[in-house]
Amino acid sequence: MQYALLLLFLVLAAVIALVFIIVYLSSAKSDDELKGMANPLQKRFWFLLILFVCLGIFAFITIPRSPYYLFAKEQPAKVVHVAAGQFFFTMSYKAINPDKPEGEMTIELPVNQLVEFRVTSLDVNHGFAIYSPSKQIVAQTQAMPGYVNVLRWKFKEPGTYTVHCLEYCGMAHQVMQTTFTVK
Amino acid sequence: MIMEAKGIKKNTAIWILAVLVLFVLSIILGIIMRLNQGGAVHLEPGTFYADMTVHGITMIGIWFVAGMAGVNFIMERYVKTSYWANTFALVMTVIGVVMLWVSTLIGDFHAGWTFLYPLPFKIAWSAWATPMFLWALAVLGVGWLVWVLSLMAALLKKYSISQVFAWQHFRNKNPEVETPPFVLISMVSLLGVLTCLIAAVVLLVLLFAEYYSHGTFVNDALLIKNLTYFFGHTIANEMLYLGLAIIYELFPEISGRPKWKTTWYVAIAWNLTLFFVLLAFFHHLYMDFVQPQGLQIVGQLASYLASLPSAGVTVFSVIVAVYRTKIKWSLSNLLFFIGIAGWVIGGVGAVIDATISNNFLLHNTLWVPAHFHSYNAMGNVLFSLGFFHWFSVEYSKRKGQERLSSLKLSFLLLGGIGFLAAFYVAGAESIPRRYSSYPVEFTSAKLLATLGAVFATVYLIAILLFFSSIFKRCLNMVLQRS
Repeated sequence: MQYALLLLFLVLAAVIALVFIIVYLSSAKSDDELKGMANPLQKRFWFLLILFVCLGIFAFITIPRSPYYLFAKEQPAKVVHVAAGQFFFTMSYKAINPDKPEGEMTIELPVNQLVEFRVTSLDVNHGFAIYSPSKQIVAQTQAMPGYVNVLRWKFKEPGTYTVHCLEYCGMAHQVMQTTFTVK
Repeated sequence: MIMEAKGIKKNTAIWILAVLVLFVLSIILGIIMRLNQGGAVHLEPGTFYADMTVHGITMIGIWFVAGMAGVNFIMERYVKTSYWANTFALVMTVIGVVMLWVSTLIGDFHAGWTFLYPLPFKIAWSAWATPMFLWALAVLGVGWLVWVLSLMAALLKKYSISQVFAWQHFRNKNPEVETPPFVLISMVSLLGVLTCLIAAVVLLVLLFAEYYSHGTFVNDALLIKNLTYFFGHTIANEMLYLGLAIIYELFPEISGRPKWKTTWYVAIAWNLTLFFVLLAFFHHLYMDFVQPQGLQIVGQLASYLASLPSAGVTVFSVIVAVYRTKIKWSLSNLLFFIGIAGWVIGGVGAVIDATISNNFLLHNTLWVPAHFHSYNAMGNVLFSLGFFHWFSVEYSKRKGQERLSSLKLSFLLLGGIGFLAAFYVAGAESIPRRYSSYPVEFTSAKLLATLGAVFATVYLIAILLFFSSIFKRCLNMVLQRS
């Protein structure tokens, strides 16, 4: 998916760059005969309408795919509690005591079944980004002190998944990670 | 009638000198960060993050004041502005920047430029650095608030509220009083800046309350995050609009074309921008699922809609203004033209990321610095450089011929595009942002960081070439006796 977005961006960027180059060259070639517009700030309703419609379609397609609505009506097969702290993740199948955070040594999750992560932080803001075995983000949420973010996901591919902190949280932010297995 | 207050002119030259020096230093800090991520140099993580903090906050600050200084200078054409407010802002900015650099580079404060609560209070640096950083922001905020209010007051002395927002253009094709586009866009931007500075005041008061009550008063992390991004996102957007105000005024003038005039269409577009831009910041909180869902949807729609009036109108206007039209091309309007392209391309990257379902995969990866560096380093910076160049040539006694223009632009484009490409590809590869070094499993991260550093160095060479000519002329202006 990420590469599809990169491709979309590159195509649009190339089209925009091309338009600017063509417009610049048309100006460089023009002579005094062609005087151009006296005031370019005239109504361009149709141009805005096209942009508006494109963005409207994009919004209409994408908003229902927002993570808040994912698997909202299903019951999770497994619930995992996550407490993030500087600079660790504690994960447990049971609720975590914030004064004495203790987690499981290993976490195993079922493939193709709904898993619910209940994510919070014990100190500062952290990120909870799940990376596939091929090191692409598949899902993420934030870990915020005083709040619990609920993330639901179905893992389609078995293997070892890595969780990285994606919200800058201090000097060891870059090494804050954990793993779990999907079978 | 063009009024040129000598004091404002000299201050503008000082602003330009200060911005250029800080810009070069901050680019060097940025290159050091990418070299460290690439493994070519080795910094302690705390030092890297202090470097990252000062790089971010300095860049936001200098390009904001660059826009303000340019708008203030051009505004003298329409209204009398306050020399004292301009000077006060200059003095406060210098004090604030020195405090920021001391708190980060000496005090080792490294909570990031967004200083996301409660990280500034989890002190892992000199204890005095946290209050100094926050007080530095307060000093900057007071200086800028006075400046913004003085410019708004200057406009409102001449134009009524409905005129300054060009409301008379909504229903009348040829109103008695015409509001120049520059006045309209400046006012819209200044009001936006005022709003986000007020949010910054509330934010700082809440943070000081917790700090000085020694934890008796405790803040709410979600509320503070909303306030932080209302301030941070909005000021980063408004500084672009300040640059656009200058373009609406100078692009036709430098190009030898008739002055642009406000139409009903432009008036409505910029009034809508004022509204939408204040709601777009919600997209920074998409991954906080506890935020009310309605606000998340508002964030996506406002992010889309904010781009329509400002980008749609501006980009299309510049394109039709240039297409098959004889233009007197110079370095300044070329910089404006390329900057508009960079801005809109960065905008595409931003709209992709402001889509909630995409943000789920891209949030806090290197896609984020990719798009904001696009519309800053290849957009807003070029708007201001265009102004700096025009100003330094127009008002300097050292006219001379502009040399090496093609070389400067080629280096700028090559360096800028290469540097940004490394970020975009890394974003698509899910490589996190704000990592001092990368875990080994991110196999392409080091190479991309090193390439980014190499291309950023090419960009820096271009900036130094611009720097040398603009700097000499502006320094001459500052030193000459009035």
